[in-house]
Amino acid sequence: MKVSTQRRFIRGVSYAILILWSLTLVFPMYWVLITSFKNPVDMSIKATYMPFLDFEPGLHAWRYLFVERLGWFMQPFSNSMIVAFVSSSIALVVGSMAGYALARFDFNGKNNSIVLGFMAQRMFPGALFILAFLVMFRELRLLDTKTALVIVYAAGAIPFIVWVMRDFFEGLPVEIEESALIDGANRLVVIFRIAMPLAAPGLVAVFVLSLIGAWNEYIVALTLTFRDSITIPLFMGMQVSQTGYTEWWNMSAISLVSVIPVVTAGMALEKYITSGLTFGALKG
Amino acid sequence: MATAQRSVPPARGVLQFSIHDRLWKWLLLLPSLLMTTVLFIAPVVWTLYAAFTDLHLFRVGVETEWVGLYNFQKLLGNSSFWRTARNTVVFMLGVVPMQFLIGMVLAVCLDNVTRGLKLFRTWFLMPLMVSPVVVAFVIGRMLFQEDIGPINSLIRWLGFEGIPWLTHPNWAMFTIMVIDVWQWSSFMILMLMAGLQGVPYDLREAASIDGASFWQTFFRITLPLVLPIAATALLIRIIDAFKVVDIIMVLTGGGPGQATESVTLAIYRAGVKGGDLAFGSSQAYFLLLVMVVFGGAFLALTRRTMSQTKD
Repeated sequence: MKVSTQRRFIRGVSYAILILWSLTLVFPMYWVLITSFKNPVDMSIKATYMPFLDFEPGLHAWRYLFVERLGWFMQPFSNSMIVAFVSSSIALVVGSMAGYALARFDFNGKNNSIVLGFMAQRMFPGALFILAFLVMFRELRLLDTKTALVIVYAAGAIPFIVWVMRDFFEGLPVEIEESALIDGANRLVVIFRIAMPLAAPGLVAVFVLSLIGAWNEYIVALTLTFRDSITIPLFMGMQVSQTGYTEWWNMSAISLVSVIPVVTAGMALEKYITSGLTFGALKG
Repeated sequence: MATAQRSVPPARGVLQFSIHDRLWKWLLLLPSLLMTTVLFIAPVVWTLYAAFTDLHLFRVGVETEWVGLYNFQKLLGNSSFWRTARNTVVFMLGVVPMQFLIGMVLAVCLDNVTRGLKLFRTWFLMPLMVSPVVVAFVIGRMLFQEDIGPINSLIRWLGFEGIPWLTHPNWAMFTIMVIDVWQWSSFMILMLMAGLQGVPYDLREAASIDGASFWQTFFRITLPLVLPIAATALLIRIIDAFKVVDIIMVLTGGGPGQATESVTLAIYRAGVKGGDLAFGSSQAYFLLLVMVVFGGAFLALTRRTMSQTKD
């Protein structure tokens, strides 16, 4: 049949294009991985491509990172960990509570406007905030603290969480909550014991997305922190401009360590992340 | 069981509007409202105020004066500012259509395959998780390295001159665009694929049985139906592209010269590094204006296209 021949051809072409794009995405990752095992001599004259074939891999970059300079690297790493987890947790609790309220209660018929008001914040350029944040946190004496970053990142993640979680809660059957209320359960118990567990997939998605956002954020961190509270992207940025031209192997090792946790988490939770990312658009 | 004793369950309305719930609903919403008001509305208003004053970060104790439109006049007559505005628009116009094209092609390809679909989808998610700083370093500094980077090595092996990826003004902008396309095309793929899944397969099946070619089916049926989602995805990317700063800062620092400096980078330089809060604020509002103009024009365009395709 002609149709099936054509379809087979289209499928073949599709696979070819998909593999090509996959390789485009793989190559930088492959490169950073092999570079972290290179020695200075492997990069002094020409590019080297294959470990063992055209260069002898060594562990010196990893030894440098985890043995010689552990403290130097661990500080921004733990800053990032703390800031990302604390800000995302706060945003998750606060934002999903508001999402629940907007799904289950009537705010004089203005529920949609309130949600849109939250989402409108995403449109504004970050440049509009950094100067005000700088002055604000200077007055509060919170410059170069993790607290400042936690506050900003939590507030930044809330609109998205409200937006997604409101729809998620609306999709849950209201009857379960009603019968619990009739049985005399407190509203808070209903929310945290019944609604939240049912909304777990949505909560996981928005939590991981906020986590990634906070982990990778650059310009606010650059504005508000400079020494004790710098995060991984900032640390990376400093190293790139200072030593990026010469110490590729060390930079590669740092890149990998900073990227692997989020990428693994994100890809393991692929289903939730994709639905979280595409959520707003699908609804519209 | 307590429920069994109640003969008439209370109506939903009663439950929702009991005194306790009226309290609860505000208690639940208030923290979010409060946090976003303090950290969103306050800065936006403050920045607007600052744009009309002579506020300076390092000058403390001096009375702040109202200067009217002075900062905006200074802005419009400033050729280096116009350069950054131009760079930002060029960047947006370069990356967004490219990402859309790649996203569309890849989404259609994903739609045509079944085996390995999940694997591809998961892998395509990867760039979205990686920090832009790392992407800028790995691709910009290592792959596009001019002396011994693999890309220039390949070009030389083919017998051409190596390309000055970061040291020539136009090439530097190109390199930055490549980085953004590498990272954010995945977003388009995911959005458009979600859109394609919403197009009933029967519809396309029917068209192809009726003898419609692959391209006819795509342009007549698939594309119009994914248009709403495509428009949303494009708008999100347009907005994000206007905000570009981190990859530029890490890679070229705006250079060579001012060839790759974006508006946001200029604002950071003027306001945070230079301390000129007033001038930085006026630039920030100018950026917002540009975004509103482009976003509005885009929305008007899509609305018109959509009403046309409905016929």
